[in-house]
Amino acid sequence: MQADREKVGTEDTFRLEIVVANAPESSVLQLPVAEDFEVLGRSQSTQMSYSLGPGGAGVITQVQKHTLTMRANRTGHLTIPAAAVQTASKLYKTRPVSIEVVRGRLAPDRTVRRQPPTNPFGFPGGLPPGFGGMDDDGDPLGGQPRLDDEPAVPRGDSDLFLRMSLDKSEAYVGEQVMVNIHLYSRVDLSSVDTVTAPKLDGFLSLDFKTPSQLTSEQRLIGGVPYREYLLRQRAVFPLKAGTVTIEAPEADITTGIFYAGRRVHRKGNESKLVVRPLPPGPSTTLVGRWRLSREVSQTEVALGEPVQVKFIFEGRGNLQTIPMPALGAPAAFKVFDPETNDQAKNTRTHVGGTRVIEFTLVPQQTGTFVLPALSVPYFDPEGRKYEDLRVDEITITVKPGVGGATAGPNLSATTGLDGPKNQLIAGGLKSLRHTARFSAPRAALTTRPWFLPLAVAPFAFTLLAGAFFFARGALGSESAESIKQKQARAARKRLAAAEKLLSKGSTPEFYAEVERALTSFMSARLGTPVSGLARGELVTRLTEAGIAEADRARIIAVLETCDMGRYAPGMGEAAARRRTMTEAAAAMEGWS
Amino acid sequence: MIALVLALTLAQYTPQESQALFVEGNDAYYKGDYAGAKERYEKLLQAGFGGPDVLFNLGTTHLAAGELGPAILYLERAHRLSDDDDIGANLAVARQRQVDQVVGEEGSVPFTQRLAEATDERIVGIAFLIVWWLGFALLWFTARSSSRVVLGLITALFLVVGAGLGGTLAVHEWVQDTVIEAVVMPEAAKVREYPGETAKVSFEVHAGLKLRIMETSGRYVRVRLPNALEGWTEKEGLVSL
Repeated sequence: MQADREKVGTEDTFRLEIVVANAPESSVLQLPVAEDFEVLGRSQSTQMSYSLGPGGAGVITQVQKHTLTMRANRTGHLTIPAAAVQTASKLYKTRPVSIEVVRGRLAPDRTVRRQPPTNPFGFPGGLPPGFGGMDDDGDPLGGQPRLDDEPAVPRGDSDLFLRMSLDKSEAYVGEQVMVNIHLYSRVDLSSVDTVTAPKLDGFLSLDFKTPSQLTSEQRLIGGVPYREYLLRQRAVFPLKAGTVTIEAPEADITTGIFYAGRRVHRKGNESKLVVRPLPPGPSTTLVGRWRLSREVSQTEVALGEPVQVKFIFEGRGNLQTIPMPALGAPAAFKVFDPETNDQAKNTRTHVGGTRVIEFTLVPQQTGTFVLPALSVPYFDPEGRKYEDLRVDEITITVKPGVGGATAGPNLSATTGLDGPKNQLIAGGLKSLRHTARFSAPRAALTTRPWFLPLAVAPFAFTLLAGAFFFARGALGSESAESIKQKQARAARKRLAAAEKLLSKGSTPEFYAEVERALTSFMSARLGTPVSGLARGELVTRLTEAGIAEADRARIIAVLETCDMGRYAPGMGEAAARRRTMTEAAAAMEGWS
Repeated sequence: MIALVLALTLAQYTPQESQALFVEGNDAYYKGDYAGAKERYEKLLQAGFGGPDVLFNLGTTHLAAGELGPAILYLERAHRLSDDDDIGANLAVARQRQVDQVVGEEGSVPFTQRLAEATDERIVGIAFLIVWWLGFALLWFTARSSSRVVLGLITALFLVVGAGLGGTLAVHEWVQDTVIEAVVMPEAAKVREYPGETAKVSFEVHAGLKLRIMETSGRYVRVRLPNALEGWTEKEGLVSL
């Protein structure tokens, strides 16, 4: 007698095999009985073999194998008592089997121990869908391994229980996760009245399979045969990263046959899903496996004739996440809003299908135009990498249509006028500068260091000059020479005043002013008053001052002219006045 | 080519290299490589080779790439340096694409601001210096002249005009210091009733909207829209013009 495991959890089942060889027909097998263990199932197989013994005699060997599916009721180091075979003459006993029982479930261990032959009775067609290994749906884009998780049998409701399973425990944002809700039963079922699917907040959910009739498949769980009913199957797409707990599903079931039925309520298990964010890469929400193609209805088209451009996305994943491709149509085309048509086509394990996005373009100008190449990135969760969907550029030639330049001679003038025209429309962005005149960023003029001194300087200079002259005038003692110069300037001003009388004033006033100017000038230059001096005395003074004889003569001549001008007739003429004025100025300048 | 690469590395360009880099940016733009075009124009700006042409091309590239915030920022900067029609046209296209529409009467722009916008600071500054110096030179001559009346009037005229130009220059300085305009860069930015994350959101502004920064408090600034709508937003989402 031996168990298939040495250590189990209280939630685990294990097998105990008792092999009896060549037992007499009358023998009785006494199976081990212990309160610490629950026997969930029992099976028996017999194997007979024939061999030649020593001396050539044939020997038939019969081996009976009894398999018990058991579960421990408590934790600790427990012992399964010995089994015994009672024959007519003797009692044969096995050794007891020790087994360590811990709380919970030793799931990793179980997966290691599980072998493909856990279907020991050769279950036809392998394991049922949803619990197998690789995808077997013949999907042209390839399959995906499923999470192989045997449902745990609840302790209280082992005959009828509800289980929810996910086909993966980790997924990327936008990756498909299949949520399966199964009912396991070892009793007769009349109907499943209601199924309450879990709320799938944080997911985009698509119904994948909802059987309309109860159909079951045989399923061995821990060696115990169950009928497995698929109640719901939904493809969900997580919308954000994090660990998500999916609530337990519930169902109301009627058991029994005909009118002997009993209605029971069952609640399944919660499930956890770790949702990982998409790895760093291009910005996209498209996840799955996709193909992209582009079709153009015609590449040579007449002006004004519509052209259909179709983008065809095909593959598996959520069709709703397919982005609107950037058509990039030249400005010569009028582009109408695209139409989108979806055709869902699910495989056995994935949702998917085809989305056709159709643009209608109407050329407004003749010429050759290019619809640019397009690249649409998507994330392939199976390859764990980003892929690019690419379509090449397409050239469309637009020719003048009916009514255009190639319009035939038979066409009426009206037709020609009404035909589509080559529209030359201004608009769009102005084109770039092809050459540049560079300039450094310009600082404000007022922030330049020289600006303020330059602005203040004239004002400051004026103030300083004014202050200087004021100080000199107020505080400084005037020299004899400066006094002379000042008086000489005053005399010149007086002569300037006489000039104003040149044409307007009376003759005596004019000549008196000229004489005063000249007298003042001489007084200033000689440093002594000369008014009232006789001519002789004046000449003496001028001679003493070192005035040249010619200059002396000129001064005397002007003074005498002034005397004459005040009294003699004919001197009031403008020409005479101007001449006297000139001579007086010349006399002053000659002295200077 | 090696010289060009070396120059790019050192970010110090000769006029020929800068022109070549500018043309490379244009080529990248016409190939649809907007990122490459932007990179080249920005290198020119960083190296001090700015001006309305580079700013116009950079703004237009951002506009073609659908980046409204930087597009309006650079086109506005170009517009401040040049009255070229193309700049105005692309700026108009960018404004048409803006999400925000400022509704209501625009607040009256103060005279000082209008004066600063209507005059060129550089021209005003140079004119001020010339007129001011001439005014004082005439004052000097007038003081030494015998016939002061006409000369005095001319001098007074020069000094009055000079003082006016000086005042205009002072207005420019004041507007530059106090009127700070900025452009919203992110797709959307929340404007709150007062600075702080807990403050109630009054409204949202979107990329490309031009607004005025009134004051700063921590990482928030008080902004005012042309229709006098005000609120506080994070300053990192704004770039001043």
